[in-house]
Amino acid sequence: MKSNVSTAATAPIATNGDTILSVQDLRTHFYTRDGVVRAVDGVTFDLARGETLCIVGESGCGKSVTALSILGLIPPKIGEIVSGSIRFDGTELTTESEREMRSIRGNRISMIFQEPMTSLNPVLTVGEQISESLRIHQRLDRRAAWDRAIEMLALVRIADPKRRAGEYPHQLSGGMRQRVMIAMALACNPQVLVADEPTTALDVTIQAQILNLMLELKDRLGTAIVLITHDLGVVAETAQRVIVMYAGRMVEEAPVRELLNNPKHPYTRGLIGSIPRRKSGGARGRTRGRLQEISGLVPSLREPIPGCAFAPRCSFATPRCITEQPPFEAHGPRHFAACWEVARIEATSSDQLVSSPT
Amino acid sequence: MSSAEVVLRVKDLKKHFPVHRGVLSRVVAHVQAVDGVSFEIRRGETLCLVGESGCGKSTVARSITRLEEPTAGTIELNGVDITALNSEALRAQRREMQMVFQDPYSSLNPRLSAGDIVGEPLTNFDLAQGAELEQRIAKLFEHVGLRPEAVNKYPHEFSGGQRQRLGIARALAVNPSLIIADEPVSALDVSVQAQVLNLLIDLQEEFNLAYLFVSHDLAVVEHIGHRVAVMYLGRIVELADNADLFGTPLHPYTEALLAAAPVLEVDGPRERIILQGDVPSPMNPPSGCRFHTRCPYVLPECKRTDPPLLEVAPGHHVACLRRPVGDSGAPLSIA
Repeated sequence: MKSNVSTAATAPIATNGDTILSVQDLRTHFYTRDGVVRAVDGVTFDLARGETLCIVGESGCGKSVTALSILGLIPPKIGEIVSGSIRFDGTELTTESEREMRSIRGNRISMIFQEPMTSLNPVLTVGEQISESLRIHQRLDRRAAWDRAIEMLALVRIADPKRRAGEYPHQLSGGMRQRVMIAMALACNPQVLVADEPTTALDVTIQAQILNLMLELKDRLGTAIVLITHDLGVVAETAQRVIVMYAGRMVEEAPVRELLNNPKHPYTRGLIGSIPRRKSGGARGRTRGRLQEISGLVPSLREPIPGCAFAPRCSFATPRCITEQPPFEAHGPRHFAACWEVARIEATSSDQLVSSPT
Repeated sequence: MSSAEVVLRVKDLKKHFPVHRGVLSRVVAHVQAVDGVSFEIRRGETLCLVGESGCGKSTVARSITRLEEPTAGTIELNGVDITALNSEALRAQRREMQMVFQDPYSSLNPRLSAGDIVGEPLTNFDLAQGAELEQRIAKLFEHVGLRPEAVNKYPHEFSGGQRQRLGIARALAVNPSLIIADEPVSALDVSVQAQVLNLLIDLQEEFNLAYLFVSHDLAVVEHIGHRVAVMYLGRIVELADNADLFGTPLHPYTEALLAAAPVLEVDGPRERIILQGDVPSPMNPPSGCRFHTRCPYVLPECKRTDPPLLEVAPGHHVACLRRPVGDSGAPLSIA
């Protein structure tokens, strides 16, 4: 593995040559009364066929806008992709017409959203909704599409799929609705599935069912997954590779175990430290002590940020961090971070990172 | 801890919501949101209520403050049975228990300044006015880590975490002995969640507060709880000290919940119990043990007999037929 330095302009090396989706220096802006919001400010990654990539970050970090940009779903006039490229299986998506995007979306790239109730049509039966994409994209006739819809419902393990296909979304539980969403998303055998917080609205026991199902189907169908989440626990159990975003930018990228065991960016370290840990067989009473806090607030995305976006909250920040944006560069095999002070941070154990309470 | 005085004692609390149907709005059924829940909380102690959506944990919290009128059962606050009180007497007791809500956006009046929001309970109960009021507001702001100049700001000018600090300051204003917090950190990002959890722990130590902490997040519960009650379909299925519950869960539902929650420390695939199916409707709960439809260890007996919540080890209560007596017929040993 080469460990030479790559900058933000050149992509981190993909896992192998078999790249299905390649995003280069993506920038998506929104235009509001108060000015331009730089929601995505230079995101670059490659997704290999069959890979599970997690994008993790807190609210407003640009993870969902990255997903919407890939799908060509940025609402026109309100926002736009101002620069960068999104290549999917050799096709440049940013310059594709809406007509072309429609033939790709729901067919070769599919998506699952957080709220299954609002993303399903309440006046169509779930069977009709699954068959619709099959009839449009795969040109199946009504009969064949319906049969395939029932097959898909069985695949996502909905009991009694024949009966369920004739039911409306409100007749199903939250977990079942999310299964229907997955059945819809996978009906056309997409090469890429973008899942934006697919289990956030679900209870833990149902979340476990849905995540298991997604991973199992991925293995069976060979779909690559971009999973967007704020939950590092979900990341730990599903991802192969992780990208951490902060204020519209990528701050770190690494294979999942490497990221969790050896985080390099102070934001990633803070994020991991701020999570209450579940450990079995703990001591009696409440002994875990204080959680690590990240003091301060996320910066406004309306002002251009010349330096590192995390610098105002970072205990390692130097004057250079405020004025000069750190390059996204390799700090180990397949491990990238955008931080000037990685060497200093690595010399500090994570215990010493605990910032004082505000 | 065990000798400390009991702040809240809930006995056999029930809350059933009638379901109306048809043109005459006849009552056709009842949703048994809470169906026989009992527990105590002592001074300085945090009891966590944990469970999935619809298990009744929020209804318990709302019934205790009588935001919902309980259908049956008694609630004693500092020895006073508040279920029998009229609204005036209840108002006086409300000083002793304050709530912190999940959504810091909708639980603060957008037209009041932050100072007025925090000061309102003090004026309500005629506890302070004029310069003294201002002084006490400033003190509360300091306690929850808000800057003194923030008193003149309005809720929309605060971030989510700061709004939750405001909600906590408002709850603290009247020096309650009990704070009921319903999912207080669920709407917050993890880094902000950590700040609020630390604050709650600090305040508890400083003021010797009792907390009833309602949450669906096991990691948060393990971090903040002294004792934990796990609820399923309107019942407590297990109640134990934090370490016992997380170390030796005895109810199959607790076991499944713990196994389902994602953790960071995984090396390869974890052994996990994945429950099949969904939570049954509380309108028509299953016969016998309410968990038997999803239980991986279900016995024929479970479909018929409703297991009582029994103390099977010191402080460790569980409602499961398999528990007090193990599968082999011998009493189960608990570490």
